[in-house]
Amino acid sequence: MFTKDLFKKPKNELESSSKDKKAPAVCIPEELCISCPSCKKPHFKTDVNESSGICPSCGHYFKIGARARIDIIADKKSFIEHDKKLTSTNIIAFPEYDDKIDKAKKESKESEAVITGVCSISGYACAIFVMEPRFIMGSMGRIVGEKITRLFEFATKKGLPVVGYTVSGGARMQEGILSLLQMAKVSGAVKNHSDAGNLYVTVLTNPTTGGVTASFAMLGDIIIAEPNALIGFAGPRVIEQTMRQKLPQNFQKAEYLLETGFIDGIVDRREQKEYLRKVLKIHGGKV
Amino acid sequence: MGVATVAVFSEADSNAMHVGLADESYCIGPALLKNSYLNMSAILTIAVASKAEAIHPGYGLLSENAKFASLCEQCGITFIGPSSDTISKMGDKNEARITMKNAGVPVIPGSEIIKDLPQAKFEALNIGYPVMLKARAGGGGRGIRIVRNESELELAFMSATAEARSAFGDGEVYMEKYLFPVKHIEVQVICDKHGNIVCLGERECSVQRKNQKIIEESPSSSITPKIRKAMNEAARKAAKSVNYEGVGTIEFLLDKDKNFYFMEMNTRLQVEHPVTEMVTGIDLVKWQIRAAAGLELDFNEENTPIRGHAIECRINAEDPMDGFRPSCGKISLLHFPGGPWVRFDTAVYQDYVVPPFYDSLIGKLIVHAKTREEAIRKMRAALCELVVEGIHTNTDLHLSILSDIEFFSGAYTTDFLTRKDFK
Repeated sequence: MFTKDLFKKPKNELESSSKDKKAPAVCIPEELCISCPSCKKPHFKTDVNESSGICPSCGHYFKIGARARIDIIADKKSFIEHDKKLTSTNIIAFPEYDDKIDKAKKESKESEAVITGVCSISGYACAIFVMEPRFIMGSMGRIVGEKITRLFEFATKKGLPVVGYTVSGGARMQEGILSLLQMAKVSGAVKNHSDAGNLYVTVLTNPTTGGVTASFAMLGDIIIAEPNALIGFAGPRVIEQTMRQKLPQNFQKAEYLLETGFIDGIVDRREQKEYLRKVLKIHGGKV
Repeated sequence: MGVATVAVFSEADSNAMHVGLADESYCIGPALLKNSYLNMSAILTIAVASKAEAIHPGYGLLSENAKFASLCEQCGITFIGPSSDTISKMGDKNEARITMKNAGVPVIPGSEIIKDLPQAKFEALNIGYPVMLKARAGGGGRGIRIVRNESELELAFMSATAEARSAFGDGEVYMEKYLFPVKHIEVQVICDKHGNIVCLGERECSVQRKNQKIIEESPSSSITPKIRKAMNEAARKAAKSVNYEGVGTIEFLLDKDKNFYFMEMNTRLQVEHPVTEMVTGIDLVKWQIRAAAGLELDFNEENTPIRGHAIECRINAEDPMDGFRPSCGKISLLHFPGGPWVRFDTAVYQDYVVPPFYDSLIGKLIVHAKTREEAIRKMRAALCELVVEGIHTNTDLHLSILSDIEFFSGAYTTDFLTRKDFK
């Protein structure tokens, strides 16, 4: 067998002609690779993006941004954004809230924790809102409530169905009671939209909690969720500590909610577009 | 060249020769290709950690992988080969065909992407039976169907698209005239970053088994200087049309009326590059690395004449008497042929264990002589001197081919081995 030092190494210097050629500096772009939090395997970001943000090895669902979500669901170039410039201000002078907003804007490159607008899904027109997890964990403040309310009012006027993607840590505590008020405000708009005979479909993604679950996330005519998504009001740790009881396995997971009748189905991220197409078509969607 | 080298190897290759030869060596994973030699993140990690400035992708594996080339580009590591853009352009067989057609390179009469059966019927009538359906993402002979008449078309169209979809994730196919019998002749080109394109003659590779070349020679005895000139011109146009950089091969089919057509471009070093090295005196790998480093070629076609004749026999670890079953195990006795202009490129050594996981190619025997006849005689002698015991090889098959009258005449076509019953 060969051993490592069997061969002598020639003492040749680098060819003179190659010496003056400077090699480009090696620089690894940030986020070229990401490691899956579930199976810990490294993956190229492009591979994960190509599979709609699902780990190619273990099927774990990465959190994806609102724009990426719209790219997956909406037909190419069909999305027209509403109220793009609306953004939160520190209305009750909550300490450090301004910094938090600035940081969220930088991180998410969005002006608020929800994007609203109209688009077509496989040709069917609809209004759509998608929450942004990188913006203070998709928390619901005044502007989130306002934007979604306006979207429902617009959809009611135009007779459009609404598709809503939720991901949220709940109401935004930095806006106090004003953020809790959004639950009632959006719910009212959803009711008017519904009374006018329009369809509302919600897709609950990991995690959908707090005031969002307690209001518009659970008001859909059809409610579906992504596999293994955490859906609840108070988080499992809080409940466990308050109740001093061990919670059942799978508690607050999409699968558990399906079993207990809270949601209508669990749909793979890659099949959601087709699912929504069918739903829109069955409910008299307009092309 | 004085370039420090870093080798990567799989767990099954810890005793491979390249591991001992390199200045540094690192294991990149288990034996299975997808976990080691196709594991892009592991290879890039080693490249970055060892401060490698460039990666030579060899042939096969990641050498024609546009994604890997692109990742190298993103990391600022030189991929020794063309740009990722060129690789993906030439990897899409339909796009390559259109690019070549627009560049004035003769292509096989054919269609664009075929959408449905009625269109397939229409195109087939236009082109004239027999026709060939080919996957645009094709490779390795998959997604290809030969259709001799209209009654075969429907089944062929369905199965070709289904096979292409499952093999490449892309079911789109196009149609070409099926040419038969043909010769496979390819032109070697090398291009630097300064716009120089040099054609280094052709190689004839018509001795094939299941689309795998077995014997290659240069020059081809079946083309005239006029055809050679036209073929080189076409190859130059092809390379220019994609701003090619590095070594590449343009493969042509030559029909019985001596018309030649572009088949595909291999955007990498070829297994059979030694025959070109022998007749031109150019070290292709050395120049491939120099060109990637940005150096200008110091030779051109005028000062690089094709001298004499070279033949290469691929020595595979397989048993032709048992349906070409791959053979692996320990090499108990090994003797290489030698003498002037006899070259044996290999990484095996006595007591080496041929692993069962990889391609069966274990060596390449190349000879060079003044004439083709002398080269054939020399190769026969060299094959007799080659001794590999402990595993089966295809040496005897090579000896039979080299003694065949049709091979000797030079008139053989790609169906040569299918027609003959060599034992």
